[in-house]
Amino acid sequence: MDSVAMAWLGSGLAIGLAAMGTGFGMGFMVGKGLEGVSRQPEAAGAIQRLMVMGIAFVEALALYALVIALFLAFKA
Amino acid sequence: MRSLVDPIDHLQLHSLLQLSVAGVRLDITQAVLFMWIGCGVLVTMFLLASRQTAVVPRGMRVVLEVLLLFIREDIVKRTMGIHGIRYFPVIATLFFFILVCNWVGLVPLPRSYTATSNISVTAALALFVFVLVQVEGVRIKGIRGYLRGFIPEGVPSMLLPLMVPIEIISLVARPFSLAIRLFANMLAGHILILVFIGMATTGFWLLKAVPLLGAAVMSLFEIFVGLVQAYIFSMLTAIYLSEAVGES
Repeated sequence: MDSVAMAWLGSGLAIGLAAMGTGFGMGFMVGKGLEGVSRQPEAAGAIQRLMVMGIAFVEALALYALVIALFLAFKA
Repeated sequence: MRSLVDPIDHLQLHSLLQLSVAGVRLDITQAVLFMWIGCGVLVTMFLLASRQTAVVPRGMRVVLEVLLLFIREDIVKRTMGIHGIRYFPVIATLFFFILVCNWVGLVPLPRSYTATSNISVTAALALFVFVLVQVEGVRIKGIRGYLRGFIPEGVPSMLLPLMVPIEIISLVARPFSLAIRLFANMLAGHILILVFIGMATTGFWLLKAVPLLGAAVMSLFEIFVGLVQAYIFSMLTAIYLSEAVGES
């Protein structure tokens, strides 16, 4: 395999694996958030705000991977 | 058939006016232009809103007051307490500037550009926050207190050669993560919208509706993302400031 193909493969793998990990993380986070809201509906506002903040942090990890993937894709 | 929309060309920075001052290139690029447009929108909006003299606000002023109250109560006071109100203007300015830059880029004009989807813009913002936090930390706590911040409390002195470099690394990593989070969020959203639009320009006409719908939904989602990212950026600035200034 030449280096161009490797770079494209790497960029695909980078974003795919990152999306998998982020998906797990976000799934846990939203699941726990929903659990908390259903248990204590009056705290929904606070839980939702913290959850959105946490999601933004987790999402950022996938986006770092996206930047790497784009670098790899355009280097090729 | 190749797509008519090239996402990469659309996201590249085009120079509108070549300028160079003392050998340094200071081109007026799209990012600069759209930051100016954003500033103009903000200034006109706030000037118009502050011209109202009635006790009960109307129109745009309601939205701005709600946002400002949110920043003051939920971002500044919650993290820094009542003394943090000194930093309310800078945090509100950062919030509104990032918000407007995120949203101005979403207006579907032929050459519209999101200034915050450029790493240079977000890096400059993050660098500003970094310098502000360090300067305020030294000013409030003094140079000794500032340096003591690198030594975590309750750590055995054997571990210090390990802990201090980790603290320094985590300090230096902050502006990077601030800059890349905002930049990557805005870039990813716009690439997605552009890819959808690119799909809509190719292929069988009946199938074009699906990506067009996708582009519309993503544009709506980007409005939300722009708001959340502005919130995250200002919230993190407030948290960093409260850490640097705390216990005063």
